[in-house]
Amino acid sequence: MAKENELVEQIIDRYAADTGMLIPMMQDIQAECGYLPADQLRSLASRLDVPLSRIYAVATFYTSFRLAPKGLHDVTLCMGTVCYLKGAPKICEAISKEFRVEPGGTTRDRLFSLQAVNCVGACALAPVMIVDEKYYDGVTPESAVEVLRSLRPAEEPETKESAS
Amino acid sequence: MPTVTIDGHKVRVKKDATILDAANKAGIWIPTLCYHPAVSNDASCRLCMVELDRGEWRQLVTACNYPVRHDIIVYVSSERARQARRGVMELLLARAPESEELKSLAERMGVKETPYPKVTESQRNCILCGLCVQVCEEIIGRAAIGFAGRGVDRTVASPFRQASEDCIGCGACAAICPVGTIKIRVHEDQQEVEISPFKSRAKLLVCERCGVPIASAQVSEEALGKVKIDCEEFRERLRFCPKCRRSQTAARLRAATDNKENSELAAGQDLT
Amino acid sequence: MIETPVRFKSTADIETFSRSLRDRTDSTTKLVRVCIGTGCAAKGSRRLYELFCEAVKQSDLDVRVEAKCVGCHGFCERGPIVVVEPGEILYQRVEEPDVAEIFRETVLGGRVVQRLLYEDPDTGKRAEKADEIPFYNVQKRIVLGGNGRYNPTKITDYITEGGYSALAKVLSSMLPEDVISEVELSELRGRGGGGFPTGRKWRSCRAAKGFPKYVICNGDEGDPGAFMDRSIMEGNPHSVIEGMLIGAYAIGSEQGYIYVRNEYPLAVEHLRMAISQAQEMGLLGRNILGSSFSFDIKINRGGGAFVCGESTALMASLEGRTGEPRAKYIHTVESGFRGKPTNLNNVETWANVPHIINKGGEWFAGIGTEKSKGTKVFSLVGKVVNTGLVEVPMGITLRQVIDEIGGGVRDGKGFKAVQTGGPSGGCIPSEHLDARVDFDELTKLGSMMGSGGMIVMDEDTCMVRVARYFTEFLQKESCGKCTPCREGLSQMLYILDRITDGEGQVGDVERLESLAKLLESTALCALGKTAANPVISTIRYFRDEYDAHILERHCPAKECRGLFRYEIDADACKGCGICLKNCPVGAISGENKVPHTIDQEKCTLCGACWEKCPFTAVLKV
Repeated sequence: MAKENELVEQIIDRYAADTGMLIPMMQDIQAECGYLPADQLRSLASRLDVPLSRIYAVATFYTSFRLAPKGLHDVTLCMGTVCYLKGAPKICEAISKEFRVEPGGTTRDRLFSLQAVNCVGACALAPVMIVDEKYYDGVTPESAVEVLRSLRPAEEPETKESAS
Repeated sequence: MPTVTIDGHKVRVKKDATILDAANKAGIWIPTLCYHPAVSNDASCRLCMVELDRGEWRQLVTACNYPVRHDIIVYVSSERARQARRGVMELLLARAPESEELKSLAERMGVKETPYPKVTESQRNCILCGLCVQVCEEIIGRAAIGFAGRGVDRTVASPFRQASEDCIGCGACAAICPVGTIKIRVHEDQQEVEISPFKSRAKLLVCERCGVPIASAQVSEEALGKVKIDCEEFRERLRFCPKCRRSQTAARLRAATDNKENSELAAGQDLT
Repeated sequence: MIETPVRFKSTADIETFSRSLRDRTDSTTKLVRVCIGTGCAAKGSRRLYELFCEAVKQSDLDVRVEAKCVGCHGFCERGPIVVVEPGEILYQRVEEPDVAEIFRETVLGGRVVQRLLYEDPDTGKRAEKADEIPFYNVQKRIVLGGNGRYNPTKITDYITEGGYSALAKVLSSMLPEDVISEVELSELRGRGGGGFPTGRKWRSCRAAKGFPKYVICNGDEGDPGAFMDRSIMEGNPHSVIEGMLIGAYAIGSEQGYIYVRNEYPLAVEHLRMAISQAQEMGLLGRNILGSSFSFDIKINRGGGAFVCGESTALMASLEGRTGEPRAKYIHTVESGFRGKPTNLNNVETWANVPHIINKGGEWFAGIGTEKSKGTKVFSLVGKVVNTGLVEVPMGITLRQVIDEIGGGVRDGKGFKAVQTGGPSGGCIPSEHLDARVDFDELTKLGSMMGSGGMIVMDEDTCMVRVARYFTEFLQKESCGKCTPCREGLSQMLYILDRITDGEGQVGDVERLESLAKLLESTALCALGKTAANPVISTIRYFRDEYDAHILERHCPAKECRGLFRYEIDADACKGCGICLKNCPVGAISGENKVPHTIDQEKCTLCGACWEKCPFTAVLKV
């Protein structure tokens, strides 16, 4: 408990308790914890003297915030116009079907979190998939699924993965 | 003081008054939903659209928050303004199909039905006007509920969609809700009041004499906190509902008068 | 970092420093510039840069060589791009094995590696320099001029080429009023899409009552298909900072903010470094260049919301609230961020300011059309041969951009439409390709120039699907505050889904038009007001496609599943049987080496046969 309050204290100091910097503060919490834990947000609310309902409103308004832990890997699918025209929805479908995860969610084994964003600005490479900051260009439903399959650690004969 | 010519009627209003203020003064009705004089508003429902004369063209603006800074000409009953308001109401009727209050407002506007299919989502009948959020934050000072999500997923909810720790069960949100979506439910057996759909529950103070629920315990405490008098008699009176309190006071007064009469009688007897 | 810490104390200091840097530059040094903009980086250009650095280290010390990483050149289709000096030899599609050859032949030997040069697809002629390539020579790269030349992480590069000299000129010889007059003379209009006259905005903000005043840079470029601002922020961040400094001086502001989209981490990084270096050199902070003018900049990252590109929503986000727009009956120049006078401009707008100060407003007004001056950066993407970023004078025609610079539609397909202005814009068909691109012309045609996205679409694109795509995008990005946008977009999407699913009803087009009119007249902000443009413009020019979907249950572009059939072309079919084997429902029959046929009753329109056929004998009908 003490450690968690420490994080919020640190972050509030970093921004001189300026409530206008609420979003950067929350981004920092998420960078540290991987998501926005409820008790961190409660601490933030009480220390900044900002209603918890307002912090919750901000946490649920912006798509980059996660209220649940994320996966080991970050997978982003671009759904910008050009990628869309070149088949991005089919790629998304294939991934959802294979790994049972929807955009905005995390696979049950926490292997990766899937996000669909609007245009990453690399339109010449459409369709684009980004895995942990590595760009994959011209992906197809098959190649995308392959890349994600290869994220699983090699030594996995029968593990909890097989349950999914 | 600028003059507003509204549907031909001229009224003078203070600078920075709104077109709605001018309409009220002129006796012209403009339908509103998200506007309430007690709280700040954002003109988010878009129902009160009127046309503003800009010389070469006319601009549609919301009456409830357009500030009057100099002489302007406004049309409430023009075809374009009517169409705009009708269109918005039709969308709202699809959004809150079960609200009687909304239907009667629509009737008053001359809108009988909506061509749009009903919207189905988890929070039916909420038109997201935000009045409940505003009253809880600005007037009650608790901010127990707020907006969550974005776009079509936008809802009014308590943080983490759990019963709010900040809710005191006062029911101001239910009172201000223009479409009757927020309801106060009294659970007599558990002596609790529930604000639906926010799931918050508060313990009810119940009249010690007749058992009728009075108010939530927290509201009572908050009220006490704002009052400077702190005497025993005052605290005692709070244990009873208004009806019983009145009966008690009446009984006390009667007793006092009887005593007085008796003592006067007694005093009178001595004198004779 | 800068080798010797320098802090400028007066405007003359910059000129002296710049001159000393130029003098120090040895003209015999060979230079290799590697583009590390996001597009090229995605194709591994950072590794190329590392390999060049290694090669430099191991080379003969007689020859001075420097490897430098630079910002986006714009020719993304041909990335990774490497330019070698002297000679400005431009190599395209460079791969790791090419590094050694380039170094040996060109850098050390002065010889050109022919196969890595750009080859004109029609004439076969190879171009050595950028300006020999039509993609580049039709452009007029003012704002993008620095990209590809400066290392964006080194302020000294910017200064060597004259950077911050506009600031020096302003602080040493111009009053705020003079600066505003110069910008008014240039007739610069906002580049973010609104096109509001910048000089007028600055003047109103200066005149507004209230203190402190704020200056904001809108870097929340959210239009899908647009990456102009990203390239400016990544490739030449100092141009934005210098512009903001000049604007802040003119308006009387001491605090600026740059709001960068969350999805642009490299832009955030480069801007952070640029601000930090500028602060070190005394170009940001108190008493800049020895004057009484103080100004500093903070960077805020967005949280992931397209609506935050709207100015009042952006300001709400900067205040730590949800990004919901508010009514603009009282303008933000009077009451904006924290209720104070605020001047917000787009990245590209700010980047134009130093040029206007240096070369004069009259020079700027000499470029472009009568009401739209200067150049505009466009992202030319989609089904075009040369995708990338282009900067052209206003008034150039769509045809020139798409054909001369873009190289025409790729894969030999027919042109269908070009979508401009992002989700607030519309689609323009071939009959209007000679329209001149500026603020007003495209608006007359039912679209708008917007922030500069240009998406080229070919004959295989279903325009109803395009309308549906943008409507869904906006519905997801809508803040949800006002009734017409939130409810209206959902109702429109519901109708468009019906149409593309083959369940359109007579009257659906009229329903869409009526909803569009409602949104335009009653929505609270520009997102909602313009949200129906994609639908309306496609109805205007491609009504026949809507009618085909609704009345015939047929998709003329053959994109909507279920609204077209697959048939086998008997002349092309070799009877190999691959389609038969892959059909999941056994709808294909035929003997070996005999043309096969598809049983339309059984066919589920999965498209597997079309995908697998090696002879393109399966046709969409």
